[in-house]
Amino acid sequence: MGRLILRRLLATVPVLLLVTAGVFTLIHLTPGDPIDVMMAESIDATVKENLRRELGMDRPLYIQYAAWMGRLLQGDLGRSIRNREPVIENVSRRIRPSLQLAGLAMAISLIIATPIGILSAARRNTSVDRFGTSFALFGICMPNFLLALLLIFFFGVKLRWLPISGYTDPLEEPWLGLRSLVLPAVTLGLALGAVITRTLRSSMLEALSEDYVRTARAKGLSEWSVIRGHVLKNALIPVVTVLGLQLGTLIGGAVITEYVFALPGVGRLVVDAVFARDYPLVQGVVLLIAVGFILSNLLVDLLYGWIDPRIRYR
Amino acid sequence: MPGTTRDENPREVSRRNFLRISALASAGLASGVSAVPALAQTAPKKGGTLRVGFYLEASTMDPHLSGSKVDRQIYHNIYEPLITLDTNLGLKPGLAESWQQPDAKTLILKLRRGVKFHDGTDFNAEVAKFNFNRMKTEPKSVRKGETASIDTVDVMDAYTIKINLRRPDAALLATLTDRAGMMISPKVIQERGSELERNAKGAGTGPFEFVEWIKDDHLIIKRNESYWNKQGGPYLDRIRYRPIPDDTVKLQSLQSGEIDVIDYVQPRDVAAVKADKNVAVLDVPSLAAFAYQLNQTRPPFNNKALRQAVAYAIDTEQIVKGVWLNVGIPANGPVPPTSWAYDKTIPPIKRDLAKAKAKLAEGGKPTGFPFTITTANIPINIQEVEVIQAQLAEAGMQVKVKLVDAATQLSDGNSKNFDMISYQWSGRPDPDGNIYQFFRTTPGMSLNWSGISNPHIDALLDKTREASSREERKKLYSELTRILQDELPMVYIVHPIEPKAFSLKVQGYEPVPDGMMRFRTVWLK
Repeated sequence: MGRLILRRLLATVPVLLLVTAGVFTLIHLTPGDPIDVMMAESIDATVKENLRRELGMDRPLYIQYAAWMGRLLQGDLGRSIRNREPVIENVSRRIRPSLQLAGLAMAISLIIATPIGILSAARRNTSVDRFGTSFALFGICMPNFLLALLLIFFFGVKLRWLPISGYTDPLEEPWLGLRSLVLPAVTLGLALGAVITRTLRSSMLEALSEDYVRTARAKGLSEWSVIRGHVLKNALIPVVTVLGLQLGTLIGGAVITEYVFALPGVGRLVVDAVFARDYPLVQGVVLLIAVGFILSNLLVDLLYGWIDPRIRYR
Repeated sequence: MPGTTRDENPREVSRRNFLRISALASAGLASGVSAVPALAQTAPKKGGTLRVGFYLEASTMDPHLSGSKVDRQIYHNIYEPLITLDTNLGLKPGLAESWQQPDAKTLILKLRRGVKFHDGTDFNAEVAKFNFNRMKTEPKSVRKGETASIDTVDVMDAYTIKINLRRPDAALLATLTDRAGMMISPKVIQERGSELERNAKGAGTGPFEFVEWIKDDHLIIKRNESYWNKQGGPYLDRIRYRPIPDDTVKLQSLQSGEIDVIDYVQPRDVAAVKADKNVAVLDVPSLAAFAYQLNQTRPPFNNKALRQAVAYAIDTEQIVKGVWLNVGIPANGPVPPTSWAYDKTIPPIKRDLAKAKAKLAEGGKPTGFPFTITTANIPINIQEVEVIQAQLAEAGMQVKVKLVDAATQLSDGNSKNFDMISYQWSGRPDPDGNIYQFFRTTPGMSLNWSGISNPHIDALLDKTREASSREERKKLYSELTRILQDELPMVYIVHPIEPKAFSLKVQGYEPVPDGMMRFRTVWLK
């Protein structure tokens, strides 16, 4: 197991190289530069030139990339152009809200999806199933920003139950913090829950048609025992796959949700960085998001083996 | 008085009484006439936290390095400029008690005594000199352009400085009302250096002191207990700024009571907010302008008749009514109506399709011609450009629209990679700041995207800086405006109003038409 993890981690190195090189090229090819954005209302061309030189932006691209890689190998992600703060500080401050949001959203999605998915499959083609499928369709079709604004309108403006924007760290002030995360987490959790509902339902249906289910039923087990003991675990593989991919996306930033709720997370950070053409910051965040994806996929692969012993890694 | 008194019915005015709106009535067009502030206000009282929502995150706490408008919203409460603006954009004493100009190239400032920075450092002539030197020499200084006319600064006595100019600069006093006039504690700069960018503790002399700044979350300032001016505040214990990027959510945060003030209400939301009894709206006329630059360095717009054809085909009135929902005033050129140099006898260009077609023929394109309008991908810009597209089509011009993000818009403009491009300017209190750098021929004038280079205009522009009296300058600006409305390097559309909205608890706010929110006089009911 230890060797497997090590091998997988080593295999990520070329992936990361490709990702950084790709992002570096793309962001530099995009028209517009950070100095213009910073000094939109200033006229002094020499100041702009000084800044450009100071930031090393007057050098050829491949040298800039090499310099960036060189610093990266020493653990230095560089400094944000816009606020001159080390990228690592920017990112580490922003990762916490994003992780909390991702965790809470995932929990909410599972709480919604597990019963609905199971019931939909077990009571296939009944009104329960139709309700479940409609719910999933609604969750998938509803754009995040619209759902967010509706939630804000009802629970924030009309009922005034929950704060509608901003962030408090739940680790410092649990009650306030949790309240500030509820609406964004529900926004994300509902959409994710819908996807998981559908996945769970279809993989359950597949498992329900297997021979071992017929055997179990023939032994006289109750339907609930069949589902709990035989179907559910086997139906979990696709669900775990979806969850793993979604976790990467959530950590990488649920951009729109963070934007609407003014949550200081990674998603908003990277969008602002792109708009400001803040090259080092964009690079740093993308690197982090890539690592997040790779780790969550690794986690998924390990879970496969645990859920279904037939899946073995050599 | 278009715009400023729009939609005002008696009920609404009484609802707003707690705000000192006197300034507004006069700030619109009839500068100098001050309405009577017969206002039913509660007596000022100390205490409380004012929660302010604004749309963008600040970029730096160092006024000498700041290039973004949003920073100024915060600076004006922490730092103080040498000269400040009254509610009619007139100059009034700030950290300088008085000033005199013995000749066109000398400016003498008498500085206020007994002013201390938040870190206890005394403010005096040496400190002012230090600040000017830093603005002029610090490699990263963004203030170099604004202080370019300053040659040297002499300390005459402990509280008097003499500014020696390289060339006459009639706009300098107004420039000193913002970041270029803001004084920073030399001790903070020497001891903490670039840390000031993130932490302004002790750095200013203003009514509020910096407390903390958690990026993208909040910035807190608190009352300066030993503020030199004992009259009229500061009353608030604290001010908590929060960036809320989504306009709708920002507004809803105000309506739900989570914040007390927002810096800007989108035109589309103004009617709804005005109908909300728990919220008060203040239409603050601004110095801003929305315009389009026409690229004179290449066809088709190197042809004056074709530029005029565009201008005559655009119906600014319809745009201000339909797109801006009257939250703004049709522009008659670069000088905003809030300015002392505004000339109301110059009419905005009226739509005239027959004239537009005649100009097309004169320009050698009687059947019209195709070109591209570049604009930022922002709802109001898109709406505006769609209306313009339709209006130009009626005159036979086939317009393609290129939507870009702000960074691309800047780079397209700077590299003159456009036919017609939208331009938004937040405005400066002195007309020089709204004109000179857009139309003067100088290599490196980065706001002159249109590429206009006209010796007559250049000479006039230089004269406006040398002229000593306001009357003389005003005449020159009128002349310039008339020429520009004929040459048309830029087609001006609207001078927007920048409505701010408040919860009913907020008292004593004094709006200055530069759009900056100064909270010294504010208290909470």
